[in-house]
Amino acid sequence: MTLVAEDLSYRHAGALRPTLRGINLSLADGEVVGVVGANESGKSTLCLVLSGLAPRVVGGQLAGRLLIDGEDVAALPPHRLAGRVGIVFDDPGTQLSGVAATVYEEVAFGPSNLAVGRAELIERTEWALDLLDIRALAGRDPARLSGGQQQLVAIASILAMRPRHLVLDEPTAQLDPAGTALVGAALQRLAASGVSVLLVEHKTDLVERLASRVLVLDGGRVALEGPAGDVLADPRLPGLGVAPPAQIRLRNRLADAGLESPALLEAIAAAAAASTSASAPQGPASAASAGGPA
Amino acid sequence: MTELRLESVRFDYPGGVRALDGVDLVIRPGERVALVGQNGSGKTTLVRHLDGLLRPTAGRVLVGGVDAAGLTVARLARTVGLAFQDPDTQVFASSVWAEVSFGPRNVGLRGAALRAAVDGALEQVGLAGEAATNPFDLGVSRRKLLTIASVLAMGTQVVILDEPTTGQDLRGVLRIESILDGLTAQGRTVIAITHDLRFAAERFDRIVVLRTGRVILDGPPEAVFAASAWPALRSTWLEPPLPALVGERLGLGSTPTDAALVAAVGSTGGAPLSG
Amino acid sequence: MIPLALLAGAVLLPAAASRVLRRLQRAVLVLTLPLAVSVLLVNLLFFPAGQDVLFRLGPLTGTADGLRYGVEVLARLLALSGGVTLFYLTTRPGDLTLDLERRGVSPRVAFVANASIGTVPAILERAEAITQAQRARGLDTEGGLLARARGIVPIVGPAILGAIADVERRTLALEARGFGRPGRRTLLREPADSGAQRVARWAMVLALPLLAVLRATVGLP
Repeated sequence: MTLVAEDLSYRHAGALRPTLRGINLSLADGEVVGVVGANESGKSTLCLVLSGLAPRVVGGQLAGRLLIDGEDVAALPPHRLAGRVGIVFDDPGTQLSGVAATVYEEVAFGPSNLAVGRAELIERTEWALDLLDIRALAGRDPARLSGGQQQLVAIASILAMRPRHLVLDEPTAQLDPAGTALVGAALQRLAASGVSVLLVEHKTDLVERLASRVLVLDGGRVALEGPAGDVLADPRLPGLGVAPPAQIRLRNRLADAGLESPALLEAIAAAAAASTSASAPQGPASAASAGGPA
Repeated sequence: MTELRLESVRFDYPGGVRALDGVDLVIRPGERVALVGQNGSGKTTLVRHLDGLLRPTAGRVLVGGVDAAGLTVARLARTVGLAFQDPDTQVFASSVWAEVSFGPRNVGLRGAALRAAVDGALEQVGLAGEAATNPFDLGVSRRKLLTIASVLAMGTQVVILDEPTTGQDLRGVLRIESILDGLTAQGRTVIAITHDLRFAAERFDRIVVLRTGRVILDGPPEAVFAASAWPALRSTWLEPPLPALVGERLGLGSTPTDAALVAAVGSTGGAPLSG
Repeated sequence: MIPLALLAGAVLLPAAASRVLRRLQRAVLVLTLPLAVSVLLVNLLFFPAGQDVLFRLGPLTGTADGLRYGVEVLARLLALSGGVTLFYLTTRPGDLTLDLERRGVSPRVAFVANASIGTVPAILERAEAITQAQRARGLDTEGGLLARARGIVPIVGPAILGAIADVERRTLALEARGFGRPGRRTLLREPADSGAQRVARWAMVLALPLLAVLRATVGLP
């Protein structure tokens, strides 16, 4: 089961030039693909197109084909798509329904729109809360959570609709380090759950940790594509407006000074691995305690 | 020259939440200071005391030796410029030029002086070619540069930027860095709130770490990211930059930046290193 | 005066009891201040049947009758806007939707009713953030009337533009959660409805015709 884009081009309503040009990509079950690129390179638009919101909801013109699990998206109404491809945006606040008094109700909002039975509604809601490890927040008012906690709720709310594919548009952009660590840890669990993930992110350290493949967008086209390790270490990356991950920058600096040695590389890899585990608080108490109200 | 001084500043929001809990801080003219800490640690509350938007519940704020309590926000805005984080809470004009001219007009600039201030600020942030553009036709990251220009144009001795690099790509970050260097070259004091510890370590002389309204660390990057400070950093979910971790592993002392680590490794003659 | 009594008994007292008095004051001030000032001034100075003169100021004459009438109109205005605001400040949005949907109202209508509740505190918060940002840019909000008038566009502009951008983002987020699907939704629970709430509701419904009859027969002001 896959999400496949074939030669996709998209132009916003009223725009002179297309925002996306000739995009080909495929997202297999359980795969995490990272998308990076300069601002205005088309990353957010790609998310809207892959989730079916563009052109259906936002207008504009789409050329090429988008196939979800073998079905052409053009033939599916938006609400049917909602259960197939989920999308999470960068702004924690505006993703909340605004009508749920508790996190539990918020997470249930999506599946309740799909009119699943009440027993299944409860089952899906609790499954999503558990997958994101936010059971401890179930009774809280979503509006009074920290930004990181709200993003976890937003992701759970989408997952409760049981999409096979998830598109994340800079999910940590507006979060503090605690929130970023929280969401990073949740995404790692998510990737292990079999849902396929397309992750758009400025923070290449996070992409390096999570993605197996990476695409670099430039002016609406795919400029680079390949295994995460290769693309993130590609010398063309800074020229495309993307800062390489900390490990790669440091290795490059050392190599430039003629100081690269196996012992050093080992120390860098070990420090990076230790740093990620230290910055990702684990366990149910962490989501409930990391950061106060936003 | 304007020194900023907070003396035992405490601030309680209506409803009783204590946002600052006894902050003592002196920022000398021309200093470049990064304020770091999680959301809710008091960073934004602190800087809003410097231009009078918030007034201390207890303690004193002195701007250039004068108690800020006796000065209006409009008066303080001539000395302390504060660029808010979110462009959407302030952009209103129909052209980039008009938007940037709002602040300098408010502090009394007119005619040639106003034009020079606005054009200079647009040049500094790289928007000189967009003077006639509608701000809403700029992307979010350039709209953010616009809000920074709006404050630079006021020509204040102190410039405070709230999360300037958030949402910026590599080019945007480089642009911010050149803006900071320009301000320092002019002798202006720069204070930036940031979540990016790498940016803080590489671009600031001094880092102040806040946790629940208190200053828990304050010093140059070598001190704040030294291994002895890691427990304090980690107590508020902050992770030292990678070169600091690597330097400690290799017994090279405190190396908060890539450059510092390269220099430290170089001084060992590049000999095979062991932890 | 009934409007004043209503204002005190049906708005301020319950607001104080539910600890939203301060927020209520702020919201009502923001919403009605310009109207309130003009209502008072116009009636004080230009009440046609005004007899007992309070003061003369050039061509203007302030009368006690005018003042009395102005206060009464103002009290009505405040009772009305205060009542509506109190409802929005004390009703949990989710409960209103659930109850409306349970009674057969379409999910979309229920959502709009519901989302509008959440909007009042959000607008206040946003207006506050914008005011702070513009004051940091030297906007004088502490000066005279003219200085304040100059601040209207820089504050109202971003508020409206921001609200529009917000609606766009929210629309996308709602579509992504299947809200566009036609037909009924599954309800997670029945909203709580205590005996006391039922009694209060019916008391209010019954008070309405009673007040109307009293006003018509006894001629209450």
